[in-house]
Amino acid sequence: MNPSPTALPYLESGREDAALVRAMADGDDRALGALYDRWQGIVHGVVARILRQPNDIEDIVEETFWQAWRQASRFDPARGAVQTWLLTIARSRALDRARAIRRRRESPIEGDDGEVVVQQVAPDDPGLDAEAAERRRVVTAALAQLPAEQREVLELGYYGGLSQSEIAERTGQPLGTVKTRMRLAMQKLRSQLQILRSEGEP
Amino acid sequence: MSDGMTHEAATEALEALALDALDASERAAVLAHVAGCAECQRELAALERTVSELALATSPLPMAPARRDRIRARLMARAAADRAFDAPLADAPIADAPLAKAPLADAPPPPDIVPLHPVRRGMDMSTWMAMAAGIIAIIGMGGYLRVRGERDAMRGSLQVAQAERGAQVATVDSLRASLEEKDRMIANLTGAQVAVMTLASPSPTSPTGRMFWDKAHDAWTLVAHRVPMPKSGRTYQLWLMTPTAKINAGTFMPTPNGEVMMRATMPMSTDSLAGVAVTEEPMGGSPQPTTAPMMVALAR
Repeated sequence: MNPSPTALPYLESGREDAALVRAMADGDDRALGALYDRWQGIVHGVVARILRQPNDIEDIVEETFWQAWRQASRFDPARGAVQTWLLTIARSRALDRARAIRRRRESPIEGDDGEVVVQQVAPDDPGLDAEAAERRRVVTAALAQLPAEQREVLELGYYGGLSQSEIAERTGQPLGTVKTRMRLAMQKLRSQLQILRSEGEP
Repeated sequence: MSDGMTHEAATEALEALALDALDASERAAVLAHVAGCAECQRELAALERTVSELALATSPLPMAPARRDRIRARLMARAAADRAFDAPLADAPIADAPLAKAPLADAPPPPDIVPLHPVRRGMDMSTWMAMAAGIIAIIGMGGYLRVRGERDAMRGSLQVAQAERGAQVATVDSLRASLEEKDRMIANLTGAQVAVMTLASPSPTSPTGRMFWDKAHDAWTLVAHRVPMPKSGRTYQLWLMTPTAKINAGTFMPTPNGEVMMRATMPMSTDSLAGVAVTEEPMGGSPQPTTAPMMVALAR
């Protein structure tokens, strides 16, 4: 049923994603389909880390690509990869939904079953192209170098959409400790990414 | 909180700001400082880049094929309709607000009915139909069916039908229904004499729905997603509207996931259908609708 992506000439080029987004901005819905086929798995991965209900997840995956379609003309390749852009949309939409659910339930935390979100070191996905796989390797390696308690704070903020005082409440840590850990985690991550990024570049 | 956060204090909060993890009051204070501080702006931009790269560490998670195809079909249908409706996409807002401001040329002006309120019993037909037209104008779905995107929209509907068919076949299998039944279902959705109507809804959960009218078999199949559970003791009821009557076509409930697949058999001559509508009614249904429609499509 899906059109074969290889039938689209612009997929032959090395800048496939950016070309797809340009085509979307020109109103080519086949390009949206191709972008979806390419990235739905990882968008789903991010959304499913943040939301629990299958309905919400399905909704937000759809809305992520829909927003990409509507905002394709505003995508600026100089500011980052298409993949990063898509995942930023996915996270932001999913967090909006998670917060809305939390407000509606008036319960402090969505899916609050005492489960601590633990980042797995993800294996390389054979479906990604070399460039995307490399970006992924870099970020995963940088995360793996963080001390566990810093990573936890980072992930509760990143995937949980929790504020610092919500994280303090949830983990039983003093607010000051949470702030320090989050700051250290971000600084380390940032410098790791810079180092690894520059190693990866010619 | 705008009474002057120091540069040092703001600097220490930039990481959390980039993660969107500041509490609201602190966030406002930090933002107020950043607005006037070039150094903090540069720093924040770099940190935001770091945050956006974090997502790359998440493992891809394959979706069940039925769900993956269903989302794809909906996206393609929406994009085709969108392209047909307003060709220049640049800077179009995500929300459908501008569509809401474009009433159909020949429809009555949209009454002020969003959000829905229960309406009094025994409302006359013209009021109810005007209300239905108003909903469509407000949602903005009626317009594009009239323009050149008609074919694309139909193609999109068919893709949805095909995705639904996949899901339906699985369900039917599990019920050990006969091959004949499956064939009939597929014919009801995709046969040569099947008209497809897209239902619009002002409900906050944005339900989407399509009615497949198989004229050859008088069969009506309603497929809808994201339909919220009706209130306790209530049910949904499907109505086929003619210029003079609202015909009860039965009641239904969505699944806990908000999915609806509802079938009815009802003879109807081709040119007498004015539209279809779904209302919330007391359990067991009502002889005539007692609330404003929560989903509606007008026949062209």
